[in-house]
Amino acid sequence: MQGSRFTRTLRDVMAVLVVAIFMFPIFWWGLTSFKPTSAIFNKDKVVFFDFEPTLVNYQVVLLGKSRAELAIESGNTFGVGGGSTYDSRKTILDSLLIAVGSTALTIFLGVIAAYALSRINFRGRQAYLNWILSQRFMPPIAIVVPIVFMFHYAGLRDTIMGLVFIHTLMNLPVAVLLMKSFFDDVPVDVDEAAMLDGATRFQIFRKVILPLVTGGVAATAVLCFIFSWTEFLLSLFLTNQIRTLPVKISTFVTSTGSEWGFISALGTSAIVPSFIFILLVQKQLVRGLTLGSLKD
Amino acid sequence: MSQAAVAIRPARGFVLPRFLRSEHPFPWLAPITAMLLVFGVYPLLYALWLSLHKRNPATRISLFDPAYNWLKIFTDDRMWGAIGHTYIYTIVAIVIELLLGLLIALLLDTDRKGYGVLRALMTLPLVVPPAVTGMMFLLMMDGSFGVLSRGLYATGILSPSQPILANSGTALAGILITDIWQWTPFMVLIMMAGLRALPKDPYEAAAIDGATPVQAFFRLTLPMLSKIIAIAVLIRGVDLFRIYDYVKVMTEGGPGTATETLTAYAGTIYFKNADFPYASTIALFTLILVVVTSSVFIKLFKVKF
Amino acid sequence: MSFKGFDRQSFIVDSAKAFGSRKISKREFMRRMGIAGIGFSGFAAGLLGNPYRRSLGKPAFAADITLPEDQTKFLKEVGGKFKGATVRYTSEATPPTVVLNQIKDQFTNLTGINVEVEIVPLEQVLAKATQDVQGQLGSYDLYYLDQSWVATFAQDCIDPVQYTKDKPDLAMPGFDWDDFSKPLVSGLAMYEGKMVGIPFDIPIFILMYRQDILEKHGIKVPTNYGEFTAAVHAITEAEKANNVFGTGLQAKSGHYSLECDWSQAVWGHGGSIFGKDKHFTGNDEAAIKGLQWYQDLLKNAPPASTTSNWDGQFQMMAAGQCALVQSWDEFFPGLDADDSKVKGLWQPAKPLQSEAGLRPASEAGFGELPNLGHQGGSVMGLSQYSKNQEAAWIFMQWACSKEIMTQCTLAGGFAPMRLSSFADERVKAKAKVMPGTTRHLETVKWTIDNVMASEPDMPLWAGYSTNELPTELGKLVTGQDYGGDAKKCMDAVAAMIDAKTKDAGLL
Repeated sequence: MQGSRFTRTLRDVMAVLVVAIFMFPIFWWGLTSFKPTSAIFNKDKVVFFDFEPTLVNYQVVLLGKSRAELAIESGNTFGVGGGSTYDSRKTILDSLLIAVGSTALTIFLGVIAAYALSRINFRGRQAYLNWILSQRFMPPIAIVVPIVFMFHYAGLRDTIMGLVFIHTLMNLPVAVLLMKSFFDDVPVDVDEAAMLDGATRFQIFRKVILPLVTGGVAATAVLCFIFSWTEFLLSLFLTNQIRTLPVKISTFVTSTGSEWGFISALGTSAIVPSFIFILLVQKQLVRGLTLGSLKD
Repeated sequence: MSQAAVAIRPARGFVLPRFLRSEHPFPWLAPITAMLLVFGVYPLLYALWLSLHKRNPATRISLFDPAYNWLKIFTDDRMWGAIGHTYIYTIVAIVIELLLGLLIALLLDTDRKGYGVLRALMTLPLVVPPAVTGMMFLLMMDGSFGVLSRGLYATGILSPSQPILANSGTALAGILITDIWQWTPFMVLIMMAGLRALPKDPYEAAAIDGATPVQAFFRLTLPMLSKIIAIAVLIRGVDLFRIYDYVKVMTEGGPGTATETLTAYAGTIYFKNADFPYASTIALFTLILVVVTSSVFIKLFKVKF
Repeated sequence: MSFKGFDRQSFIVDSAKAFGSRKISKREFMRRMGIAGIGFSGFAAGLLGNPYRRSLGKPAFAADITLPEDQTKFLKEVGGKFKGATVRYTSEATPPTVVLNQIKDQFTNLTGINVEVEIVPLEQVLAKATQDVQGQLGSYDLYYLDQSWVATFAQDCIDPVQYTKDKPDLAMPGFDWDDFSKPLVSGLAMYEGKMVGIPFDIPIFILMYRQDILEKHGIKVPTNYGEFTAAVHAITEAEKANNVFGTGLQAKSGHYSLECDWSQAVWGHGGSIFGKDKHFTGNDEAAIKGLQWYQDLLKNAPPASTTSNWDGQFQMMAAGQCALVQSWDEFFPGLDADDSKVKGLWQPAKPLQSEAGLRPASEAGFGELPNLGHQGGSVMGLSQYSKNQEAAWIFMQWACSKEIMTQCTLAGGFAPMRLSSFADERVKAKAKVMPGTTRHLETVKWTIDNVMASEPDMPLWAGYSTNELPTELGKLVTGQDYGGDAKKCMDAVAAMIDAKTKDAGLL
């Protein structure tokens, strides 16, 4: 829409304002992660910039400095519960492993299924698709207890593999439906041409079609990664020593105080990898979010 | 198809049975089907089995009593409260997120300089783990120290004696704010994609006919976007219905039961009362509600996958 | 080890000389001081200089915990038999567990047994323990059991005293069962004649007041409920404009903390939770008076009280928002932290006396003990389903031994389980205004010995106290339901609870 100079400026102002409003919470958390407790809990005023920034929260959470060291350095020997349990480096590593692992497994299973669903017209195909879609509807709380028992007997409790399986399960519907839409985009003529040359379906898939949808695979992978990175409920109940990021943050609530400084530091750090990934696959993002029914 | 099958008959005489060859869907779908059956279907069946028992908390013995829990949900006031809260939450969130999403998409849908950055920033809320979002909004809405609360007091919208999350009238609104913040970008993205895909011709024709932008919007844009809107509403609606993280982290269903959604209620029964059968029943009932509501929606709006 | 007075003096002097002339390392010096019974605050230890710039791993107090020789021998020989086993323990992040997590390496060094401590918020502990016992999974060897859950999990734990008798070769020498505070054992650990676990921590209600604010308004330290209420009203009147209130509460809807505040109020007004006939009596006259008193208090507390559990209540105290609080003694050391705004301003006092008198225990049901100081202690329980029972038992004894428990007290200033810890010189040395202070412990000990109150012991209590009660109370105090009518609310709760109790065959 063309408009006068005025409407254009107005639009620019509005746009910046809206985005600024949405960015405010993230800005605030980042700010909080540099604040000492007295600045976070000041009963007289809201502290914006009027405080002495401290790197302590990040040191504890990312660099493995222990709360006890903090205590000694500040001369404050433990009024509040704490300790090396705030060191989150292993957590970040475990979360990464699980996210990458489940993404890989999801892609592997999902892509081959999606190809078949796209190309092979068999009886009950629509029903099968509906079934996959319905898996997306399930509330995780319904399966928490059965899964815990199952995992216990299979020895998968508190293992990285266990969580990889579960996250894969939750991502599969998205992956399949999304990849199917990408495959649907490739005309069937391509397949048929290759078949005339005597290739089996599998060979066609591997050599001809798959290379054409790498963008789609990337977008799917990113979405799977983000989901796994942020999942909370099942990760909580299927782990003891292994902790994923969201679960770890929830444990910063102690009996004598929530460590908001650490929470905000770890929380802010958790955003970084996902955001980078999203930037990389901006284009295919929409298709992913709508399970393939809407193309960008 | 069968010609291709003949063409690849291997030299050694060993032939794969029909259903294992790559022409047949079986080998492609077998792994994923196995996965879904084991981790998806089996636990649901187990949960169903659990729901058919009545558990005595003192003795911890569960006796087979198929109707007990299922009848209980209909007489349980708290259950109906939960259903109500869940639906209200879902509908209000959807409407607001849709409207805001559409408006913001229109606002940002231009190729002018700098808007790319704005659009990218707009996706940031989506990647924050919801559990973390919940905690941070909890801090911001803290009755005494929260920056949002103080803002609300300063502008007189709320009084300091009624912190937003402590008041049963406003607690749900507090959680809604969190959800809206995190998921409006979802709608924004989808609407933007939809707007991009719109053909230009009808707009040019309308301009020639002297239509105003507003008229063009209502008569052209909206109808053409309807399919997209339907899908977005469906997907978002299902996720809203299953909401857990915000409620658990921010209010635990409180104050009282003002923000108790179905999943939160199931969680409470699971882990505070250890009444696994009843909790399973609640969870399964939630699933049934989701499936029924979305099926109706899909039929009504002819959504295709 | 014990020293006669003069031996000790010369020992200290000699050691100091040796350290000064660099004949012994700082580590050795600390060890000797530990033996001599002198503890150092981290600050003071820091003053000694730190030769290990890089490995600031262990805090000073943990550098050298010396166990008596026979115990060390026991751990090496008997414990060493289970080398390579892994013991799993799940707990809330209370200070004793956190300290335990810090020093558990010492245990591993002596015995070769690995210990994994899983620290989560209290509700998650309950959830995980519940799941574990339901399937008898044995994923945890040791449980942290809040006293309100002891009845629920009694059948899943092994009686430690019995175990000691059954397996004498696994019994740690010098453990000294009699050293445990008797009221703690009976109040925390016993259920129907069986000991469910070893008392592990004891947050208990005491009165805490801001000396400066009371003096400013010429108010005497309240000793009973009437005086307290008057004082709270007066302070709120006077200081509201400064965002300071008379009291602060942990009235979070649906949280156990609200139930704790409530039961304290009920007992203090002569009521009880259950009656002799096992019916719920939270809706009788005395209890209603208590609840109404509490409702009035809420008007004199920061509004955030209704979204705060003990965590938020502590923040209120630490930020200077309130003046008089009856709550967990565990807050106290944190209030004296170096960066605390209110350092040295809070004082401990005995819990409020009840003008209405207390209901005798014989008239309360399910082993409930109405009294003046609500205890929220816990025990460490050994799981029946544990796959490493014996190794876990060795760890349990180490964790609850005299020296370790005293170290925990020294680290955080919270109340000990053992009489020897109360009496320990090092603990007494910290009884001044300082981080990790122990100056409230005298009050705490008096409370434990004289006016400790206990919640009822019955298998459904874990559910009632974390779900039904705080949820309905929450509806009342936030105005969602019941229109502020305490009786109506409690009648509804009575109906719910009695129905469930009956259904379970306990009524």
